[in-house]
Amino acid sequence: MKKKAYRNPVGVSRYTGLLLVSPFIAGFLVFTLYPFISSFLLGLTDYDGIHQPDFIGLENYRYMLDNDDLHAAVKATLTYMVILVPLKLVISLLTAVLLNKELKGIGVYRTIFYIPSILGSNLAIVIMWQFLFTSGGLVNQLLSAAGLPDVSWYGSGAHSMLMIVLLRLWEFGSAMILFLNALRDIPREYSEAAKVDGCGDVRCFFRITLPLLKNVLFLNLILQTISALQEFNAPYMITGGGPMRSTYTIGMLIYNEMFRYHDAGYANAVSWLLFAIATVIVLILYRVTGKGREEYT
Amino acid sequence: MKNIIKKLAALGCCAITLYACGGRKSNTVTLPDGQLDPCTLRFSWWGGDDRHAATLEAIKQWEQLHPGIHITPEYGGWDGWTEKVSAQLSGGTAPDVMQINYDWLINMSPDGEGFYDLDELKGFLDLTGYDEDVLSFGRIGGHLNAVTVSVSGRGLFYNSGSYSRFGQEYPSTWSELIELGGIFGKEDMYPIDLDTQSGGTAWYFAVVYIQQKTGRTFITMDGELGFTPEDIEAALEFYKELEDCHVIRGVKQHTDQDGNSALYQSPEFISGRVGGVLEWGSSVGKYEMVLPEGALQAGPLLTGDNGEQGGWMIKPSLMYAVSLGTGHPDEAAAFMDFMLNDAECAQILGTTRGIPSSRYAAESLESSGKLTGLAQENAEMLGSTETVTISPYMELSRMKEYYNEAIEKVSYGKAGTREAAQEMYDAIETYLEKIKK
Repeated sequence: MKKKAYRNPVGVSRYTGLLLVSPFIAGFLVFTLYPFISSFLLGLTDYDGIHQPDFIGLENYRYMLDNDDLHAAVKATLTYMVILVPLKLVISLLTAVLLNKELKGIGVYRTIFYIPSILGSNLAIVIMWQFLFTSGGLVNQLLSAAGLPDVSWYGSGAHSMLMIVLLRLWEFGSAMILFLNALRDIPREYSEAAKVDGCGDVRCFFRITLPLLKNVLFLNLILQTISALQEFNAPYMITGGGPMRSTYTIGMLIYNEMFRYHDAGYANAVSWLLFAIATVIVLILYRVTGKGREEYT
Repeated sequence: MKNIIKKLAALGCCAITLYACGGRKSNTVTLPDGQLDPCTLRFSWWGGDDRHAATLEAIKQWEQLHPGIHITPEYGGWDGWTEKVSAQLSGGTAPDVMQINYDWLINMSPDGEGFYDLDELKGFLDLTGYDEDVLSFGRIGGHLNAVTVSVSGRGLFYNSGSYSRFGQEYPSTWSELIELGGIFGKEDMYPIDLDTQSGGTAWYFAVVYIQQKTGRTFITMDGELGFTPEDIEAALEFYKELEDCHVIRGVKQHTDQDGNSALYQSPEFISGRVGGVLEWGSSVGKYEMVLPEGALQAGPLLTGDNGEQGGWMIKPSLMYAVSLGTGHPDEAAAFMDFMLNDAECAQILGTTRGIPSSRYAAESLESSGKLTGLAQENAEMLGSTETVTISPYMELSRMKEYYNEAIEKVSYGKAGTREAAQEMYDAIETYLEKIKK
């Protein structure tokens, strides 16, 4: 049977590519580049978000030095990042290793572990967290049953931070999926050969599996760090940034300045501060992990 | 030729996408044409379930009377509502008719040009049922930006079940209230509680106490701070005394027990362990709904031991405004008129937005005997004492942050009352100076 030949009716030229990527270019210009540049310009203005902005130079940046709310927000955000990111990486990696086993019904387990990531921090989760962590909640009841004293989850700064961290820790599915995919790419022959030579599971993990996961570990580290620096939803919904500003993240401050206090100029300037903080941290991580990573060429 | 077509197609794709994503002009004003045309209007409000149910019923009634003018309701709770409307106004996507708060006029329309000038819509909006004093609340820079729905103040409301358990009358003086803390405290209960969230109720209560005592107004109508640092310190000391005497829960306890929930959703209030609240007469329905019918009762406005009165405050509790960018100003005005003045609509809405300021709506409720209930009792009590009109500057979100921050610091023992008072005083002075520029 003669194979039917298909032909592109308009042909292919150097502009075909441009035509095909034009929706992306337009989207990039409108939704990324334009807000990126305009937010920098607005950060140099006194702007209430409704009326015409007035140019005030670097005044918003100078005000950051005196603004106690911002100092509290930077402290809360960095604390949150430092606690959450390592814990999340360890838990998601260990879970991925367990879910990489060839067990019956493993697909169901993988789905179950991923479900919390879909839930985010919506109203149902807020209510659930209240049932769990308010003074008469399930967690304190369990602590009492175990003979331990009650914990002031919402009322204490340190514990509120832990409560937010626990919410995001519970949602480790996306980090876990990246690890799981990378684990499945590691040929089983490596560990099998090592085991034949008498290598135990733990040693095998640290000597074979972990070195082969370095790149995805770095990717997850960067993604989780940036995500932690941008945190807004969980503290906004669960603690409102309190008590005493202990969970008041930079994301919450930007939101409040923009929409509650109508200081859009300052909100945009703080957005650029957040961008600068994220850039510096990522560069440090890149430098620190540089030797361990493999360069793809 | 093909290349030219492809180049044009690529440019066209970019241009169409850019155009589709581009912002639209938000300040184009559609002039009234003097007739009601079929259209769809968006109407937004915040409130509790009682207000939502009544408003949806009123909208049904409007649509029966005006089949061509459909109303799309947008409603929710108070928390986050200001932010939502701010974003809509910034993006030029504000609803045609909006329920707005008193202080929004300062932020969103400082020159009177942020909302539609309702004086231009008098063809469909009858304002003859309003006193000029009440209308003046919505007049900014010579433009009528908003019309007051009701004038209301905060009053004290008590759970009769909690009080009868101890055989106690509702307090009439500040001292009696403080004494009740000891009585309720024996069973680890509280005679009242004050919401320390976005409403800033705790600070409001302390301000009333000091205003009554000193005769000075916390913030004047033109945005001057009337309290001295010593007055603020005395207010914070009063607040601390309420906590120490078991009259109200401390901020830490409050937060631990309720999480981030509002007081009317708190198990402590619903179970009667918290025996009373300070709330707007126009919004007390949400507290009433979570208790058995008739359990919530209005108590007297507190006075000093020597009979000092006054200090209690009133304000236009809610206002309606028309978006500057509405394409249907006549229809929006007609709908607003219906919500404010229509006799049947007044019957449906009852006192879910407080006692109507419109004479026509109030008469409708009075004639059917519906001018009753907690909102009315509250209005009568406020009407019988010398009240202070709240400055819109006192209600600004940033100001509420200053109040809550000071209250929180004092409650947690992170600052003494003097230190917290001085910080609050300085912050308020600086902020008022900035926004009045």
